[in-house]
Amino acid sequence: MNRFVTLLLLTGLLSCGKSDSPTPGNGVGGSTARFTLAGTTLYTLSDQYLQTYDLRTGTPVQGPKQQLGLGLETLFPYGQHLFVGTRTGMFILSLAQPRAPKQVGYYSHMLSCDPVVVQGSYAYVTLRSGTTCRSQGPSSLDIIDISIIEQPKLVKSYPMTSPHGLGVYGTTLFVGEGDKGLRIMDISNPLNAKTVQYLTDVKSYDVIPLSNVLIVTGPDGVYQYSYADPTQLKLLSKISLTP
Amino acid sequence: MRSPIRYSLAFLSLLTLDGCWKPYPPTPALDSDTYRPIYASAATVRTIQTLGPQPYRKVGKIYVKDQYLLINDIGTGIHVVDNRDPANPVQLSFISIPGNQEMAVRDSLLYADNTTDLVTISLTNPRQPRLVNRLASVFPQQNFPDLTNIRFACPDPSQGVVVGWEKAPVDNPQCFR
Repeated sequence: MNRFVTLLLLTGLLSCGKSDSPTPGNGVGGSTARFTLAGTTLYTLSDQYLQTYDLRTGTPVQGPKQQLGLGLETLFPYGQHLFVGTRTGMFILSLAQPRAPKQVGYYSHMLSCDPVVVQGSYAYVTLRSGTTCRSQGPSSLDIIDISIIEQPKLVKSYPMTSPHGLGVYGTTLFVGEGDKGLRIMDISNPLNAKTVQYLTDVKSYDVIPLSNVLIVTGPDGVYQYSYADPTQLKLLSKISLTP
Repeated sequence: MRSPIRYSLAFLSLLTLDGCWKPYPPTPALDSDTYRPIYASAATVRTIQTLGPQPYRKVGKIYVKDQYLLINDIGTGIHVVDNRDPANPVQLSFISIPGNQEMAVRDSLLYADNTTDLVTISLTNPRQPRLVNRLASVFPQQNFPDLTNIRFACPDPSQGVVVGWEKAPVDNPQCFR
């Protein structure tokens, strides 16, 4: 019996000393990322190019790069496709050959800043106007039907205040409205999305919604919320900045 | 000799003298925001260091892998945070990566930009991240802020490598985008 207890204790101590290495698999970034992963490939955006890196051995091996044009801003992988947000539109690339992405669709919009996220058969694109985006038009959230991937189609547009990054989880869409706050929308029916809460006391540039926690980054720090009730976000913690 | 072609060529060559000139952007207003480069010496720019927890200065992008939350501090590196309890995030370490803005994690490897290089950093021990690979010169040297409709002091290579930009008053900035 004693021996058993000692063994248990030892096991406990040993597992305690074990480091908490990250597990296999890919992590999750925000919608404004210029680095993203799909499978064993790293995709990066810089200048006018989309670059691939083969990560199968862990050590990145530079693959071909392709020119997509000016104003490349964000990368978002979804299923077998990669969505690239640019100043003038959204590219959809097929990842059937992961290290040779092939353009299969394009959605053009007015000149603006525009991250994109995707869920199911819809892409959600925010268009931000204002001087730094060189856009005169109104800011909006565009809902784009991508059920026919080669023919992305605008089906609905909602007015926004100052949209930056965005994120979707289940039926909830979060839009970082920059200095103007954080918008939470119910998108159970994307064609009739509704703002269910708008927080004005948080500045938000980008968001990562996990299954139970929303992480928000902005000029004042990093906030984490529980959104068990999307109409009533609960602040869990705030990482403040040191001036 | 003095053909119109010659004149236009001379004019075009004048335009290209200014490295900042791009055919596309309109000139920002004179009262638009101004920025100046933050320099690092060529020697320090490629020094990746693991430090203990550091203060958060200017947070940028965020990334999640398992219970870890990675927070970019714009132009300086990445905070590694244990976020097992989102109500109580705990700083584990800071990876000093000059010029850093982007990151992605596969398995226990972190891929990040270090100005023009792509660096691979092992997070096997998140308290002691460790540089394991460097792919040099895969990104263009970005000699302008990641913003538009602004004016900025043109980078001066003799002062070092540009690792970031700060908003600051600049007397008669010659570059813009």
